[in-house]
Amino acid sequence: MIQTLALLNAAYRELNARKLFWVTMAISLFIVAAFAALGINERGITVLWWEFELEFVNTQFFPREVFYKFLFANFGIGFWLSWLASILALISTASIVPDMVTGGSIDILLSKPIGRTRLFLTRYFTGLLFVTVQVAVFTIASIVVVGIRGGSWEPWFLLAIPLVVIFFSYLFCICALVGLLTRSTIVALLVTMLFWLFIFGVDSGERFTQQGSIAYEMDLEQVQLDLEEAVTMGDPVEVTAPLLEVVDRTQGSYDTWSFVHFWFYSAKAILPKTTETIDLLDRTLRENAGLDLPFPDEGGRRGPRSGNMFGTTSFIRQRDIEQAFQERLDERGLVWIIGSSLLFEALILLFCCWRFSRRDF
Amino acid sequence: MVSETPSIDLKNVSKIYKGRIHALRNVDIQVHPGEIYGLLGPNGAGKSTLVKILMTVVRATHVEGTMLGDPIGRKSTLTRVGYLPEHHRFPHWLTGRQAIEFSAALCKIPRVVRRRRTNKLLEQMMMTDWADSRIGTYSKGMQQRIGLAAALVNDPELVLLDEPTDGVDPVGRREIRDILVEMRDEGRSVLVNSHILSELELVCDRVGILVKGEVATQGSIGDLTADSQRYEVLIAGDAPNWLADFKGSTIEVPDAGTKLVIPTADPESIQPILDRLRTEARTILSVQPFRESLEDLFLRAVTDPESGLAMKPGANRKRPPKAAPPSTPPGDSGVGS
Repeated sequence: MIQTLALLNAAYRELNARKLFWVTMAISLFIVAAFAALGINERGITVLWWEFELEFVNTQFFPREVFYKFLFANFGIGFWLSWLASILALISTASIVPDMVTGGSIDILLSKPIGRTRLFLTRYFTGLLFVTVQVAVFTIASIVVVGIRGGSWEPWFLLAIPLVVIFFSYLFCICALVGLLTRSTIVALLVTMLFWLFIFGVDSGERFTQQGSIAYEMDLEQVQLDLEEAVTMGDPVEVTAPLLEVVDRTQGSYDTWSFVHFWFYSAKAILPKTTETIDLLDRTLRENAGLDLPFPDEGGRRGPRSGNMFGTTSFIRQRDIEQAFQERLDERGLVWIIGSSLLFEALILLFCCWRFSRRDF
Repeated sequence: MVSETPSIDLKNVSKIYKGRIHALRNVDIQVHPGEIYGLLGPNGAGKSTLVKILMTVVRATHVEGTMLGDPIGRKSTLTRVGYLPEHHRFPHWLTGRQAIEFSAALCKIPRVVRRRRTNKLLEQMMMTDWADSRIGTYSKGMQQRIGLAAALVNDPELVLLDEPTDGVDPVGRREIRDILVEMRDEGRSVLVNSHILSELELVCDRVGILVKGEVATQGSIGDLTADSQRYEVLIAGDAPNWLADFKGSTIEVPDAGTKLVIPTADPESIQPILDRLRTEARTILSVQPFRESLEDLFLRAVTDPESGLAMKPGANRKRPPKAAPPSTPPGDSGVGS
């Protein structure tokens, strides 16, 4: 217990000494203050004492509390905490493991009566402490702002703390692994960023091909209905033959989209799911905190003929595809999203502990 | 001072890196309670590796023996051992006081005790005025003092110091030597790695010289230099032709006079020679007892007997000839890894 407290105390001092920790904290508080300065009324939005009249952003479209919840979920968590603040946190914590395994520093730690696994994991959780403190301060301040300005005290916001920390831990385990193997902060940071880019690419590919697959699934249903209708109506072969061709072609497109989606989905299954982890907050707020935003106007996103970006034969609205896609995403359970991601992280940490325990310094 | 159970009793310590670099080869070393043991050797001889094996920083390829009665590699033993690594680096954001207390806490020392010991050690290292400044602002010598304090904060029975005087000024070196002697007088065992042979010579009871991962020689400085003890008699004029009567005596001709070298540590043995020189009315310019210094001993150990040149630094990369594995004495509690 004395040793653990000493390591945590040292971690606290380390955080205290890192300027980037305080810079990130200051920016977080600035963003919350900006939320507080924003207001919404029946004519538009207000910033401090200025008022901007907006046709579609006012309390006639957005209830006041939904406006603030939307700001928190989309800009506060979706943009600030899960992107910019995470990058700053990675920059700030990337040196934690390389610093520990540097000659002269590691000798002092390993020569104490403390197990190597415990030592490594304590240092690892020190890095997570950085993000935990940042997210906790931001979230609690946001709850206060939404409570006072929006008139809705929303405890579900607190879910952002574990979700963002878990999201960050997927990346930080890679950072710790590379830092341990190379002892280089720069390499650890670069590889982590590349890994993040890679899983973002896989995630985007999976989402896109899923939507394409859904689009052609809908398309196939429609063209099959058209064919059945033609056959039922007793249309001649000249009419049904082209329809049959269309069904075959659509089936082919659907198979291709499904096949590519399967591979993206398989790759994503074994990788950490960063975007979906953060999206869990949206899902929870939609289900439990009344964050139900109106869908954007479909007109602007409709293709010229197909009504969507995938060029389907039938007219299928992009909005319908997105709704079906959202429903499929919502069907994915916690075990698939967080469980498999944590399993990936656990395997990486297991390897780190094994390597750290076996290595000579 | 020497008790029956050595503080360090190492046998057949070997460390092979990447299957070909032999950092240590069958090293046997004993350090007794209340003894200061100096570990010498050229760069890359394996001194730091040996100490790191004792402190579980490096895993030995093969090791038998005990440290403070426990098998090598047991973590719990380290609560009774103090260690100052070479080029140690405490986090720069800690103050000197915090660094010492951090070391103490990792050795499971309760808060009240560690505060008391920290204050005492800060005073002993003359760092009280700087105790609450960050280590990042310290000079090398100040960092070394804090490192030494951190090594001693757990009141260890055995202290391993890797280059303890590195970067320390002459006054500080003197103080560190005094601390080593104090620790010995308190019954602790001290193992010191150092390149500064003159300092080791002043405090070490025994020394071991590692060359290319093997113990070239070890023992007390007196024993190791016994063969080199002699008297040198400088006289004016030519050498007497009767000197051959005294076994082993030789003649050297320096710039002025003639030097008679008589291989003995016993002053009685040279009296007949002096009497005869006086009888012949020869002028005796000087009579000096002579013994090899630790530096002479060291240089002799690291010189290749075939080429007469100093051996190249670094570990031996060649594979040793195959030999029968060393036998483990019955009941030996050592571990191999």
